[in-house]
Amino acid sequence: MTTTSRAGQRPARQLPRTKARNNRTDGAARAPWMLLAPFLVLFVLTFILPIFVAVLSSFTKVTRSGLFGETGVESEFAGFSNYAQALGDGSFIASIGRMLLFGIIQVPVMIALCTVLALMLESASAKWPSFFRAAYFLPYGVPGVIATILWSFLYVPGLSPLFDIAALVGLTPDFLGANSVLWSIANIVTWSYTGYNMLIIVAQLKAIPGELYEAAKVDGASTFRVALSIQLPLIKPALVLTTVFSIIGTLQLFAEAEVLKTVAPAIDSQYTPNLSAYTTAFAYNDYNVAAAQAVLIALAAFTLSFAFLKFTNRKSS
Amino acid sequence: MGLLSGCATPGTRSVNASPVIAQAAAGEKVTLTYWTWLKDAQKVADIWNAAHPGVQVETVWIPGGNRGGYQKLYSALAAGGGPDLGQVEMRSLPEFMLVNGLVDLARYGAQDYSHLYDKTLWGQVSFTGGVYGIPQDSGPMATFYQPSVLDQVGGTAPGTWDEWAALAGELRRKDIYLDCFPLSDASVFAAFASQAGASWFRAEDDGWVINMTDDATMKAARFFDQAINDDLVQTSFRPYSPGWFAAAAKGTIASVVTASWGDALIKGVSGGEGKWRVAPMPTWAGSGFGSSYQGGSTAAVLANSKHPREALEFAVWMTSSREGIDAEISNSGIGWSPSPGFIGTPRQGPSDFFGGQRYNEEIFVPATQQQNTDWTWWPVTQQSFEILSDGFRKKASGTTLVDSIASAEQQIMAVFRNKGLSIRKETA
Repeated sequence: MTTTSRAGQRPARQLPRTKARNNRTDGAARAPWMLLAPFLVLFVLTFILPIFVAVLSSFTKVTRSGLFGETGVESEFAGFSNYAQALGDGSFIASIGRMLLFGIIQVPVMIALCTVLALMLESASAKWPSFFRAAYFLPYGVPGVIATILWSFLYVPGLSPLFDIAALVGLTPDFLGANSVLWSIANIVTWSYTGYNMLIIVAQLKAIPGELYEAAKVDGASTFRVALSIQLPLIKPALVLTTVFSIIGTLQLFAEAEVLKTVAPAIDSQYTPNLSAYTTAFAYNDYNVAAAQAVLIALAAFTLSFAFLKFTNRKSS
Repeated sequence: MGLLSGCATPGTRSVNASPVIAQAAAGEKVTLTYWTWLKDAQKVADIWNAAHPGVQVETVWIPGGNRGGYQKLYSALAAGGGPDLGQVEMRSLPEFMLVNGLVDLARYGAQDYSHLYDKTLWGQVSFTGGVYGIPQDSGPMATFYQPSVLDQVGGTAPGTWDEWAALAGELRRKDIYLDCFPLSDASVFAAFASQAGASWFRAEDDGWVINMTDDATMKAARFFDQAINDDLVQTSFRPYSPGWFAAAAKGTIASVVTASWGDALIKGVSGGEGKWRVAPMPTWAGSGFGSSYQGGSTAAVLANSKHPREALEFAVWMTSSREGIDAEISNSGIGWSPSPGFIGTPRQGPSDFFGGQRYNEEIFVPATQQQNTDWTWWPVTQQSFEILSDGFRKKASGTTLVDSIASAEQQIMAVFRNKGLSIRKETA
């Protein structure tokens, strides 16, 4: 469309070479698609299609007859019955509730922690900021599974030096108990991701123009005042971004719980929503209900992220 | 379109309704794959490969059972692929059958080999007239204990569960636990209930019959309710977890009632050499059976195999020939041999680790003859155990095992019905 209107603006030079030009415009129109094709093919095959299949699957029900389905298996449209089954499963609902509790505590703690770290590293009096930046970021380089194995050795009585230290001051902690194991997971997650979120905030802090700091200095603002009135308002977009990522990440928590399960009897097969969908699909072979669970998790993440964005937008306007 | 047809819910077409696949033509080279969690399984396959140039077997290691191996097998099956052979526990065969994941080997002549296998095990792989796996190993149960720890209270390996409880009480005064009770793995409780004489499921012509609240199960449940209430058992970790190994090495866990394959794991207790012995499992005085079983696996031919006949022949060789059994024991440390006549050369004679005890011949051979033969596995075993375990975990907040078994029974019946399978409660 744009090419034809541009051609119309310059008819004089255009006329003698119309045919050649048309060939070239066809080519020009095709070029972006051809360049996009490798991406689009993969995007459709590995992203769009699986979502489509999952949604389709969540509306299908398989009924078997006989002792093992040997006398017949039927697939039929199920309406919302898989969703009803997923929502009627107390353990699945409990896992979502557990992640909400986890998110309400862990996300603010982590965001506060990474903000404080970023502000300290970017303050004028910071010593060796690049060393500490790398050091804080390092845990993010440890894959979640490895991080959990490392931490699990610190949580298991009889292996962990933490228990010996706690015994010196007369404490007997229980990191893997029914009520405490969620916070042991929160600790691993915080350890892993604080540095990563800190880096996003540091990047935003570096984008603040130097003149603002100079003006604040001229006005005699303290470091604390600079942080409160200049840095915090200006890094708000980064804070919103990291919070949304953390909310989504919380609902998708999987590896930490799955790995810690081997040492923590309190973690059941449906401890987190994703673990629940995984178990339903690949341990119980109920792909249809698992698909419904997956769709519900996606909807919950979408709703929460959207609500948070709405909330922050309303506050700023 | 090919893509979209792949989008149908997996496992809804039965391979056992399609025609039998013929043996490969002479001279055609067949390559079979076997997914297993056995260590060094390729070394076992290599012995076969050397003798059978036409049928080569490649093994691929997968994580054990529900720790990830089944998930891989299920997703490969769902995608229309997967290996020719997979290691599947006895208890999981019906679950693989439910997704049409297994080839009925009776159609390929498996019955001709039935005389090579233990009758109890052959019964556990046979369903509705078909054979769905070749027994590979099993897990008769016994007590592994540390005599020096029991000596501290002048005790010895308990002969009955009542003696077990009394001994556990004595040991608690020394801050030692006799054993764990794994709240998070209900299959162990199922083994105890089966020993007491329970038989939770029965396959009838009109569907499944469930009975989890029979006298035997309730007796076992009440017993362990009491044991947990009296703090006689360790519940904060389960056998063979890092915490258990640390406690076993320190002598704060005295024994473990477990399957024969526990011997290899107990050898991992640091400084354990010479400190452990084996005794028969405690019995439910006057009723039930002398032993029980835990674990036990098969080599099953999976639905998408192109060469089921050759796969069956390899599985039979591996699990019933002397060289196959010996190789599986020395390379992979399999559980109990499924062949009634041959326990495996490495298992004959005294064991250095267990202080020179000939425990395989003295303890486990008799144990295999004292098991509950009525026990049948059912199509949602894993889910049932998860439901039970989820109930057991609430023990800490005051629920009894007795109550959680009764409510688990209801939930398990709902699971059957959601899958369209018919099930009724035993009426008697």
